[in-house]
Amino acid sequence: MKRPGLTLVCAAAFSTAIAAQAPARAKAGLTAVEGIRVGHHTLSERPTGCTAILVDGDAVGGVSQRGGAPGTRETDLLDPLNMVDKVNAIVLAGGSAFGLEAATGTVRWLEEHDIGWSAGPSKVPIVPAAILFDLGVGGNPKIRPTADCGYKAAAAASTSAVQEGSVGAGAGATVGKLGGMGRAMKSGVGTASITLPSGLVVAALVAVNAVGDIIDPATGKVVAGVRNPDDTFADARAILRSGVNAARPRAGENTTIGLVATNAKLTKPQAARMALMADDGYARAISPAHTNGDGDTVFSLATGRWDGTADISVIGALAAEAMADAIVRAATQATGAAGIPAARDLKK
Amino acid sequence: MGVYNIAIMRHRTRAWIALPAVLVSLASTTAARTVPISSHPLQVPDALNATLTAVPGIKVGHHTLTARPTGCTVVLIEAGATAGVDVRGAAPATRDTDLLQPTKMVQQVHGIALSGGSLFGLSSGDGVLRYLEEKNIGIVYGARHIPIVPGASIFDLGVGDATVRPTADCGYRAATAASSSPVVEGSVGAGAGATLGKLQGMERAMKSGVGSASLKMPDGLIVAALVVLNPLGDVIDPASGKVVAGVRTPDGKGFADARVIMRSNTPRANRGDNSTIGVVATNARLTKAQASYLAQLTDDGYSRAIWPVHTIVDGDTVFAVATGSLPGEPDLIRLGALAADVMSTAVLRAATQATGLPNLPAVRDLK
Repeated sequence: MKRPGLTLVCAAAFSTAIAAQAPARAKAGLTAVEGIRVGHHTLSERPTGCTAILVDGDAVGGVSQRGGAPGTRETDLLDPLNMVDKVNAIVLAGGSAFGLEAATGTVRWLEEHDIGWSAGPSKVPIVPAAILFDLGVGGNPKIRPTADCGYKAAAAASTSAVQEGSVGAGAGATVGKLGGMGRAMKSGVGTASITLPSGLVVAALVAVNAVGDIIDPATGKVVAGVRNPDDTFADARAILRSGVNAARPRAGENTTIGLVATNAKLTKPQAARMALMADDGYARAISPAHTNGDGDTVFSLATGRWDGTADISVIGALAAEAMADAIVRAATQATGAAGIPAARDLKK
Repeated sequence: MGVYNIAIMRHRTRAWIALPAVLVSLASTTAARTVPISSHPLQVPDALNATLTAVPGIKVGHHTLTARPTGCTVVLIEAGATAGVDVRGAAPATRDTDLLQPTKMVQQVHGIALSGGSLFGLSSGDGVLRYLEEKNIGIVYGARHIPIVPGASIFDLGVGDATVRPTADCGYRAATAASSSPVVEGSVGAGAGATLGKLQGMERAMKSGVGSASLKMPDGLIVAALVVLNPLGDVIDPASGKVVAGVRTPDGKGFADARVIMRSNTPRANRGDNSTIGVVATNARLTKAQASYLAQLTDDGYSRAIWPVHTIVDGDTVFAVATGSLPGEPDLIRLGALAADVMSTAVLRAATQATGLPNLPAVRDLK
């Protein structure tokens, strides 16, 4: 995705404030949205972990859940028909359904800091979450992100540029599994943002763990995916059209989870529309996406800190762009692990 | 919107006189193919039918109005098919989509009615019901047959006289014209008044229409799509990332690229004259829940070939129908991926096969 105007406005403006994390682009990711903090915690025993996205104050939230094998919590609450219209944090985690426990730790951290939905004398932290399936990667599948992981990720959260690659929820993530795990590639976390001259900021963060290949929508080319024996790309689109039976992806190996955030002021139905349109970014950058072996889920957050007005269709379209860009980065910034190479490991 | 463009189009009426004649002749070609295909001079071998009717048991008919470019397109599955729907746009005009939810009773549909005319055009479905009832097709209820015909409409009231809309008569005629011949593509039927690339207003938009495509796999699986393409957004070729049709540059000769416009500070995404509606069909045997899922996955074809898509001013809708003539358990991953693929191709064809109107050129007019 090398279209002019992307993310660079902010990157230039903040280039002197780069934090210590190695591959991060200053403020060119999710934390370009003021008031959003991101923290990873990566387990040392096996490549898995969790990523906590905290909102200073709170944000209006939404969700789009389209994959056939989801693992989520508090998504019903995000239905525009339901009462609670504020979100304090989003948690993304590896570890399959077990990893949902990470959200419990983030809830605890937020409660300790007196952050949450005011319900009489108590504060109830609102923390929707989604998990991806990485139990087959790199060792003992009993090692999963726990509440401790979610607590540590929340404690580590900062407004610094987001660390990308094989960290946090993306530590055990892989892509290109239509030819089986033996031909798959390592993936991870990616993030991107778009800042308009008006001050509108739209940003995305994603942990990419798809059955499908990663496609750069700007060129139609495969960025990472099913490998041939010579480490060229087999192209999932060609495999599926060939009539040769592709290896059936196994449950427990997939799911892409992410979120988009904006500084615009949105209603809850508008936040839901933003999440739905951001999901178009999955369709464009992942092929195939939303399969019945993927639990693809996109959250949305609107902080409302920007006073300007922007059409929800514009915000949604930019959210899809930022998401597609973040997905491509999740593939290009990944590091190989457990014998699974990443895009940077392949000879060009 | 309407007022401004209606005035313009009335002014242009004279220039259209030749066009409806062409459209009618195209539509009547479809009607004429009710004779046995082997003896027809325009016969197309089955293997070359790269449209929705490549799925056995599916018939398609158009009827295009002469008073202004609008009309309807009817898909018939007289033997019944399991069906689902995905409504992802925010401004839909639909009928009988609730009964397609997997939790609802009715299991089979007998037709899908697509039309222009905004929600007024939904009455074209009435004519399809009448046609099918006369042929005793539908759910058996005592001595009666109740045909199940979900439908959706696009907003094309800004192209010409907005009081001219497809009626039940249009649906009846399209159903009568329906055949298993290759689908006539371009600016016909429900796509007669379709446009695209409207992010900078109708003045820089382009003409669109109906497109169709099919894929046949060695194991006998057939997946095919038909689309009435009328989006706010541009059409992008997912294989290259390039604009195929969309907002024109101010000189009217090239593409401005909606993706670039959207990153400027002046996007105008508040026009209501949109919606892309389509059908994906397969010979696979699906449950109703699987058909809903197929419709959802097909929608990824919209995401890849239309930019932006699913906006607040698009009523994007996909119907899925599964005839079930291919025995065996379906591979949903492959089926869904192929469906998205074939829908992208149908979208590209709807753009490239369209015929322009005065001040509303089609792709072929820019070359």
